[in-house]
Amino acid sequence: MSVLTFERKQDGELWSESELHTLLGSLNAALGSEDGRGWETGMTEKGDPQFYLLGPLPDQECQLCVSRIGGRYLLEDGAGRLLFEHQSLPLVAMHAKAAVSSRQWSLVARICLLWCTVRHTIHDKVEPLLVESEEVFLHLAPKLAAFA
Amino acid sequence: MKRAKPQEGLGGTLQRTVVPEARQLRKAAGDWLKQRRADAGLSQVALAERLGMKYYTFISQVENGFSRVPTEAMEAWAIQLGLEPSEFAQHLLLYYEPELHRLLFGRKK
Repeated sequence: MSVLTFERKQDGELWSESELHTLLGSLNAALGSEDGRGWETGMTEKGDPQFYLLGPLPDQECQLCVSRIGGRYLLEDGAGRLLFEHQSLPLVAMHAKAAVSSRQWSLVARICLLWCTVRHTIHDKVEPLLVESEEVFLHLAPKLAAFA
Repeated sequence: MKRAKPQEGLGGTLQRTVVPEARQLRKAAGDWLKQRRADAGLSQVALAERLGMKYYTFISQVENGFSRVPTEAMEAWAIQLGLEPSEFAQHLLLYYEPELHRLLFGRKK
């Protein structure tokens, strides 16, 4: 398997304040507990920023990690399993929230999350194809009509 | 691998607690792993590739001291760094489980 690398849009910059707001807003419940949970930021060797959600004291081991690589956000757990990846940080943050509160996560909320993911995917992947097909059709329709 | 300075914002300096010992030890393990990787002449991306990972971000997560090398990955990790797996695992145990290391190998923390 080859490691995917991206060209970075934001060259080795830390998280922006709005990105941190998005992440912390979603993880508010997990961070609100008084058991020493916290968060940290760091960088990879290549300067890609990482956000670590830490577990409770005394270990404070990483529970979730969000990395930004080339304008794409990766959500991994503390063992390096890739949980989700997308270019939309709010969507990644929703998945992060779902991952930390999976025990209380209701079926309805899971369906909502699935729906959001499907909508984003349609918006990103399917819609451009439909627009392209429509353009081709508009281009060819007069020619087909002329032949008919 | 770099460790960013604590970011400010969101209404002021972020509150930090004293870093617990377990975190300090994981960071020491991360520094050791980073040095061993450098000795092997590998970048984080190259190591991740050799370990069959899709992304290299977990290598950074471990070297920054926030996660551990998973037990099931220790052998492959050691081999890619050109180290003997049992010695590699034993050395990491010194950081990850110092008390267990002391009991097993009879050394002080």
